Amino acid sequence: MRSSRVLVRKHLLQHWVRSGLTVAAITLAMFLLCSVISIVTTLDRAVNSEATQRLVVQSAVSLFVNLPLGYQEKIVAVPGVEDVTVFQWFGGYFKEDEQPFAQFAVDHENFLHMYAKDMRVAEGPRGVTGDSALEAVQAAMNADRRAAIIGPDLARENNWKVGDTVPIIAKIFTKQDRSAWEFDIVGIYEPLKSNFDPRQMFFRFDYLRETLEAEGMVDDMGTGVYMVNLEATADPGLVSQAIDGLFENGPQRTKTATEAVFQSFFIAMLGNVPAFMGAIGGAIVFAVLFSVVNTMLMAGRQRRGEAGILKALGFSNACVARLLLYESLVLCLTGGALGIGIAALFEEPVRWAVGGALPGYTVEPSTLLLAVGVTLVVGVVAGIGPALGLGRLQPADALRSEA
Amino acid sequence: MNAMIEMQGVSKRYSRGNETLTVLDSLDFQVDAGDFVALMGPSGSGKSTILNIAGGLDRPDSGRVSVAGSDLGAMSSSALAPWRSMHIGFVFQSFNLMPVLTALENVMLPLLLTPLRSSERKKQAEFALDVVGLSDRMTHRPKQLSGGQEQRVAIARAIATDPDLILADEPTGDLDRESATSVMELLQRLNKEMGKTLVVVTHDPMVGELAQRTAHLDKGLLVDVTGEGP
Ligand SMILES: Nc1ncnc2c1ncn2[C@@H]1O[C@H](COP(=O)(O)OP(=O)(O)OP(=O)(O)O)[C@@H](O)[C@H]1O
Ligand SMILES: [Mg+2]
Repeated sequence: MRSSRVLVRKHLLQHWVRSGLTVAAITLAMFLLCSVISIVTTLDRAVNSEATQRLVVQSAVSLFVNLPLGYQEKIVAVPGVEDVTVFQWFGGYFKEDEQPFAQFAVDHENFLHMYAKDMRVAEGPRGVTGDSALEAVQAAMNADRRAAIIGPDLARENNWKVGDTVPIIAKIFTKQDRSAWEFDIVGIYEPLKSNFDPRQMFFRFDYLRETLEAEGMVDDMGTGVYMVNLEATADPGLVSQAIDGLFENGPQRTKTATEAVFQSFFIAMLGNVPAFMGAIGGAIVFAVLFSVVNTMLMAGRQRRGEAGILKALGFSNACVARLLLYESLVLCLTGGALGIGIAALFEEPVRWAVGGALPGYTVEPSTLLLAVGVTLVVGVVAGIGPALGLGRLQPADALRSEA
Repeated sequence: MNAMIEMQGVSKRYSRGNETLTVLDSLDFQVDAGDFVALMGPSGSGKSTILNIAGGLDRPDSGRVSVAGSDLGAMSSSALAPWRSMHIGFVFQSFNLMPVLTALENVMLPLLLTPLRSSERKKQAEFALDVVGLSDRMTHRPKQLSGGQEQRVAIARAIATDPDLILADEPTGDLDRESATSVMELLQRLNKEMGKTLVVVTHDPMVGELAQRTAHLDKGLLVDVTGEGP
């Protein structure tokens, strides 16, 4: 209705402080809601999208107890197992104040092959790209003990290029002279899955082991976990049982799980994240609903006299009611559009900010759609009561309340 | 001469708890087309109530009300709204302009309910403001106008849709003498020159003198009607 537009706009501008605060509250709420839902969907996807057949073998005692290196050949021999690599967390940093990133020591001979579905080698030595990059990087890994391959985001943030030698300071594997570990970057990978962290560094396990042995720091080197690729037809459950069965009598009992379960174990360590996030999301929606309801109740009270005038001029009850409902919807949709827009536009910065804590942070279109729906519902719920009140108001009574 | 307002046996009561307040008691009231009637009486005697009933803003508990040829009792409230827009112009004591709208926008407001195009609405509103002598105040907000000017904008709004009947409830009640005089002169002009039927509720004897007819109301009954009859 044409009359509504002008009146709604002018009313909102008349109380611009109140309108602005309400819009700001909705903006913030919808941004937070989108973010919270996105955390859940991102975690969910990380857990459920593991199409590759991969198992993680860790100590039955704790993730922080190492497994003997001798286990590797026994695991490889289990039927259904395609390949195995050690996977040892290094825990170092480049600059103390930067976003931490993960470094892993792996078996350089088969790692690139085993992770071919997770990542693609995008760039190798001397500017090699495309299909030949994998071969070039593999050759460089074989030739250089200190070779490392890094993710694209890590390269960009630190301005690291293939051919650079980068110092990483170890927090756990500190050398006697406290000097930094040096790695030669021989390649840059590109994640093939949204939940594969683009800020990782993979390097040769034998470099780690030999350096530590030379430094006299370990007697019997182990690995935190083994990553086990399965044959396409293998049953993950059966293979897991078989692996754990191998080491039932020690020396170190194992706990084998699919990578998906392993990741959800991390999620479980954070508490019941989805339920917690759901509660937060619900609280946000309720908080903003109360805020908008309060605004609209105030507006409704202030508009009683005006409602009477409009009715005296011949405006219908429905038309008078619609004005307030539109006002509520305009407030909500403005705030909603801003909040949802920010959530969508800031996906990349948020992904960077949460970094390795939540690799592949993605704001799904369905999340944005849900937020739009929530915005609409809040707008209608907050506006409908006061709007119907004004609609039902007897014109004579409304005019008396003006005087 | 045909009647613009015809009220027969109109009663209006309010019950507060078990106490019943009879505001209008089987009232007969008639206003002819083209008439200028002043409605006077003590506070609480039911003057505003009569006006509201005549304008379809309120309904009597019993009795027959016919205004501008329509039987209001037979009309639903959703039918009354467009009927008001076509036949009635209201003028209130406290002006009741929309504070957020300019003078011109206030006058255009009732025209939104007509099938006129936007340019025509503007032209008609400008004409109405010209009639009340406020062509130079069109972009002013109510707060930027004097009380007398505000009331003249309200009168322009009341006549914008060219209604048959103007119902004014103490239109000079909030004005100083000078503004009151100019507002009453304006209303009288509308009655004389444009043929609008005019009912003005007032406490002001000056208004009573301008009117063709004065009706005195007391305790819900018309006690005295003076002036030339039909
Ligand atoms: N909604 C209502 N509920 C109860 N009583 C009401 C209501 N509306 C009006 N009245 C009563 O009806 C009586 C007549 O009111 P009305 O406004 O018509 O008087 P009035 O003659 O216009 O008085 P004034 O000169 O003070 O404006 C008053 O006593 C008033 O208190
Ligand atoms: Mg009154």
